[in-house]
Amino acid sequence: MDRSIEIAVNGTRHAFAVDDRRSLLDVLRSDLGITSPKYGCGLAQCGACTVLVDGAPARSCVLRAAKADGAAVTTLEGLADAATGALHPVQQGFVEAAGAQCGYCLNGMIMSALALLSANPDPREDDVRSALRHNLCRCGTHAEIVASVMRAAELMREAAGNPARDDAAPAERAAVVSKAREGAPA
Amino acid sequence: MSGDYGRILVFREAGAAREVFLSFDTFGIAIGFNGHVDLGTGIETALSQIVAEELDLPLDRVRMVLGDTTRTPNQGPTIASETIQITAVPLRHAAAQIRRELALRGARRLNAPAARVTLSDGAVRWKETVATYESLIAGEEVALLLDEATPVKDPKDYTVVGRSAARVDLPAKVTGSHPYIHDVFVDGMVHGHVVRPPYHGRDSGAFIGHSLVGFDDAAVRAMPGFLAVVRRGDFLGVVAERADQAEAIAEALPVEWLLPPELPDMASLAETIRSQPATPRSCDATGDFAAGIAQCDVRLERTYVWPYHLHGSIGPSCAIADWNAGEPIVWSGSQNPHMLRADLANLMQLDEARIDIRRYQAAGCYGRNCADDVCGDALLLSHATGRPVRVQLTRAQEHLWEPKGAAQVMDVEGGLKDGAFHAYSLDSWYPSNRGPNLALLLTGRVSPEPRPSDMGDRTIIPPYRIAHKAITVHDMAPIVRAAWMRGVSALPNTFAHESFVDELAYEAGEDPVAFRLAHIDDPRTAHLIRESAEKGGWEARTAPRRRREGRMAYGQGFAFATYVHGAFPGTAAAASAWVCDVAVDMETGEVQLTRVFVGQDQGLVINPDGVRHQIHGNVNQTAGRVLKEELSFDEITVTAQSWATYPLQTFPETPAIETMLVERSGDPALGVGESAAVPAAAAIANAIFDATGIRMREAPFTPEKMRAALGIAGAAQPAAIAGPVAALSWRDRLAGRGLGSKANGATGSGKGTGARKMGLAALLGGSLTAGALALPIHRAIPPTPAPPAASFSAELLAKGREVFAAGNCADCHTVQGGSPNAGGLPVETPFGTIYTSNITPDPETGLGNWSFEAFERAMRKGVSRDGTNLYPAFPYTSFAKMSGDDMFALYAYLQTLEPVRRETPPAEMAVPFNLRPLNAAWNALYLGSGPLAPVAQKSPEWNRGRYLVEATGHCSACHSPRNALGAEMGGDAALSGAPVKGWYAPAIAGTAAASFGWDEERFYQYLRTGVAGDLAAAAGPMAEVVANLRELPDSDIQAMAVYLASLAPDGTGGSETAAGQTATPLPDATHRLFESACAVCHEPAVANLATAAKVPLSRSAAVRSSDDEALRTVIREGIEAPLSLATRDMPGFAAELTGAQIDALAAYVRTRYGAAAR
Repeated sequence: MDRSIEIAVNGTRHAFAVDDRRSLLDVLRSDLGITSPKYGCGLAQCGACTVLVDGAPARSCVLRAAKADGAAVTTLEGLADAATGALHPVQQGFVEAAGAQCGYCLNGMIMSALALLSANPDPREDDVRSALRHNLCRCGTHAEIVASVMRAAELMREAAGNPARDDAAPAERAAVVSKAREGAPA
Repeated sequence: MSGDYGRILVFREAGAAREVFLSFDTFGIAIGFNGHVDLGTGIETALSQIVAEELDLPLDRVRMVLGDTTRTPNQGPTIASETIQITAVPLRHAAAQIRRELALRGARRLNAPAARVTLSDGAVRWKETVATYESLIAGEEVALLLDEATPVKDPKDYTVVGRSAARVDLPAKVTGSHPYIHDVFVDGMVHGHVVRPPYHGRDSGAFIGHSLVGFDDAAVRAMPGFLAVVRRGDFLGVVAERADQAEAIAEALPVEWLLPPELPDMASLAETIRSQPATPRSCDATGDFAAGIAQCDVRLERTYVWPYHLHGSIGPSCAIADWNAGEPIVWSGSQNPHMLRADLANLMQLDEARIDIRRYQAAGCYGRNCADDVCGDALLLSHATGRPVRVQLTRAQEHLWEPKGAAQVMDVEGGLKDGAFHAYSLDSWYPSNRGPNLALLLTGRVSPEPRPSDMGDRTIIPPYRIAHKAITVHDMAPIVRAAWMRGVSALPNTFAHESFVDELAYEAGEDPVAFRLAHIDDPRTAHLIRESAEKGGWEARTAPRRRREGRMAYGQGFAFATYVHGAFPGTAAAASAWVCDVAVDMETGEVQLTRVFVGQDQGLVINPDGVRHQIHGNVNQTAGRVLKEELSFDEITVTAQSWATYPLQTFPETPAIETMLVERSGDPALGVGESAAVPAAAAIANAIFDATGIRMREAPFTPEKMRAALGIAGAAQPAAIAGPVAALSWRDRLAGRGLGSKANGATGSGKGTGARKMGLAALLGGSLTAGALALPIHRAIPPTPAPPAASFSAELLAKGREVFAAGNCADCHTVQGGSPNAGGLPVETPFGTIYTSNITPDPETGLGNWSFEAFERAMRKGVSRDGTNLYPAFPYTSFAKMSGDDMFALYAYLQTLEPVRRETPPAEMAVPFNLRPLNAAWNALYLGSGPLAPVAQKSPEWNRGRYLVEATGHCSACHSPRNALGAEMGGDAALSGAPVKGWYAPAIAGTAAASFGWDEERFYQYLRTGVAGDLAAAAGPMAEVVANLRELPDSDIQAMAVYLASLAPDGTGGSETAAGQTATPLPDATHRLFESACAVCHEPAVANLATAAKVPLSRSAAVRSSDDEALRTVIREGIEAPLSLATRDMPGFAAELTGAQIDALAAYVRTRYGAAAR
């Protein structure tokens, strides 16, 4: 059934009628020409379709457009400075640390990283890995993606005039093992 | 630009055409043309570096055109890491040719000796004078025939090659402006959706191309956007204006297929593969193996088994084709555009020169996926409709149909003589070919006979000095569709070589690395092994060390390989060595790969960062393949349809990776796309051996296999749930949609299968006897036309509308997708099926001829107008408590509904329950008397709430358990929770409700918005109830909250979780299924995920039910949240999970989040 909805995408308002079964992902890509969110699984399993809805990350393949009626949607296209074209620090972090091979999952990585860094501007590497644990990358770019998010955090803190980190932990990588419950070495 | 346009290029004659390798024009831009494509590996950047280097041009002035068939040379498929090693060679020479020509021209222009000018930064220089390249070709078209003897630069002089360069494609990718094939938009394009046969992923046998019995396009022609249904043999697709319309039509299209024949037993993978027809081919018969093995003092026989894998592109394949009146243009993400062009020419019986393949980047493919198949699909549909057609495969289609990375079996025998590796035989079976284009097979253009290939011999020769060898590959056809995947057969072959040599080393009492070195003759290989062991922190040992700390065991493993690609004996690509560390949880069997050190010798390094990224990618991807990935099958076909049952490596599971690139700038560049993958399985297995003393010879090394090998309790549980061969699942999947377009129906009534069904657990028990027949039947009330709608006041109708909403009438009296309120919804009881009645004012089939007297009698007494008793599925025991005013208002309102003519189907009840007089006896027992009287001591608000809850709202119909006779239980049991309609209606009264956390505020929030904080969210039938309550004023919602809170007197507002004893289940296939399909929304990784569940699973009503039925229902059907509520959708899994998987998942969720029944 068609239903009239209004969505603001990257600051531009769109009012239109939409079949209430269609996903936000489909509507963004097919009707609005916003192609950064990608179709990967349609079941929220991979994260390639992630967008921000009223500032919160959403897997747009399982969110019906009609459910986003009245919302402000932000996509990868909306992150860079509209006036200067300057990349958002998260995008910049991914360029500097080469956080993509094929890059199909990249949209989801950047949008999820943005969500993480909004909540935690000073994450440890393990925080990044945990925050991205439901984003799939088949190229195996995990190390570069984690480095990209760490770099993005640095850039965002610098932009906010707060470059210092409370605790840089170069050796924390070894602590992955500590995930392995009690009895693990420190 | 200086002067008139000019250009210089280098070409090669290819028949009548010219293939251009490189051009440079007066815009100052060099464009390289390469027949290979960028698969996401950054090859575009590396090729640009080569051009920039030889041409002395800044990197940002080089562009690459990759793979377009009308513009690039045919250089074969982008496989086997050949791009840099082979196809970049003419490109380098072309650049050197242009450089030489420009140097000569520049020298003339500057009156300089040709040998003494210098070239840099796009200009020729002599002393203080400069001539830009552009100025030297202005107004000219200079065409040079490719001369592969042109001298190229000495690598010592490199300034661009050998240094890290940023990926040229990244800036566009991070802003979303990079056009992937999925993002291409062609004017006038429409959308196709393919309907694949039920023999998912199979490609040989007489049934291929001959299984489509028929389809009924008349059934879907009226659907929105319909354009066409197209059939060619077993190829079937629909075309519609929009993609979602095409998908909906494809799902609705009735299609009949023949049942495919069964697969051989895929659970016994090794036996099955060995028993297929195969042709042995000897690859190395040095010495005399039979004699040699007889001389050995230590002899071992081993079998190594590699599973089927998915390439697993993150983006399902997509293409657009425009038939273009016989001059087709195809926009494609193909790995092999020129090979694709030949296939499409065959498909359409066209000269391939008339087909233009325009290559766009796709999601990484790591081998052959469905990228070419989907081009055939799109072209067939475009040919039939005359429109450009875009086809986007679904995740399930990509999973099921991609040519798989083949399973492989390696049987090994070998031994030691005097401590030396003396004899070695290896027999390798690799059931794979090059994956013929699916459209060719489905249309019958290519016959579906088994097609053996010869790619099982990659790195089949062991690198060691062994006196007696018998190395044999068994060339064979695929069992299921299969084609090359990263590492091809070299990865499993190396799993065998490098595990076996490790085992022999310990048998010899030697350190595994020292033992290898003792058997290596090639100094370059020895250097790589020695350096990698040293830099990688290799700890020499002569026995497994079994280091333990608490429950964790730690180990280190080594393996190396030179990846050999191309036709046997092949060409060596880069050689890689792994030193890796694992931690094994000795209680759960989980293996964590904690660190991988990779030493790699790739000759000249073009882009060090690019090489490191390829190493990282190979390590992470292959670690997942070794530890987690395994494709499952049922009797007929592949089963995995999403990441739920084929989980990939996740971020927390990835190891720390260190790399060492051996410096060899004087040697030719070798391919690096796959090499670091090849040692993975053996290195990890060898590390597990060091940690635990057990040898893993069958990948993947899942916790279940580890527990079985380690003898850990719990290992006896079969892992057949999502692992290989889930029993009988194809029957589940085919039965639900036998004539359907996709085999997606599960055992239950999944979404999209049409009518909802309600399973009402109303038990009409055995205490009713035949004696009840004697009870009187009620009198019939004659048909009387109802008063005209206009005769009711607006006020009355507004009141009636509220009562209608509060009573949730529409929900039970409407079939999904049917006319509102026209009834027909089946209500399943243990004794038969009842259909709800038509409550529209249609005179024949609805309430149009019902007087108010007849209506009120039905509502209060459960007696129909004709005097027959209604079944107590209709909650007249509650409605009897309604006030006369409300009853009349409802009657009036119903008479204003849109009349719909629809007969109510007769109930299908089993004897004796088909005798409605029995119900009269039931009524005599349980029907209360008359409207509710207010309780004087209570507030008007409380009384109003009580009325809404007990009468109009009939909450007890679902929330009160029923006794053996199907009557709602009262007293303490009232509203204490009950299963209903396959769901669970939890307690909303009494201590259970109070301790759960219900209070007035939460009841109010819930009934008003569908969500009470993180306590509860309305789903299933309750979601519709809350949606209907939107019609009620706030005061009524508040009144219900006040009343309900009074029934939960201890409601102190605590939000104690319902969880009783939760447990962490042992990791198995179901655990992985939960983690990959469910956790994203139920254990979200980011706090405010807008698509996550609103309520923790421990508080879910389904988990709180006393059995798993509600869990199974919600897993199957998912949740489609009413748009008016703040609740959220959940996808249903009926289409992809088997009944057994859903059962196991429900049980898992209960174990992990479980609570005692409430």
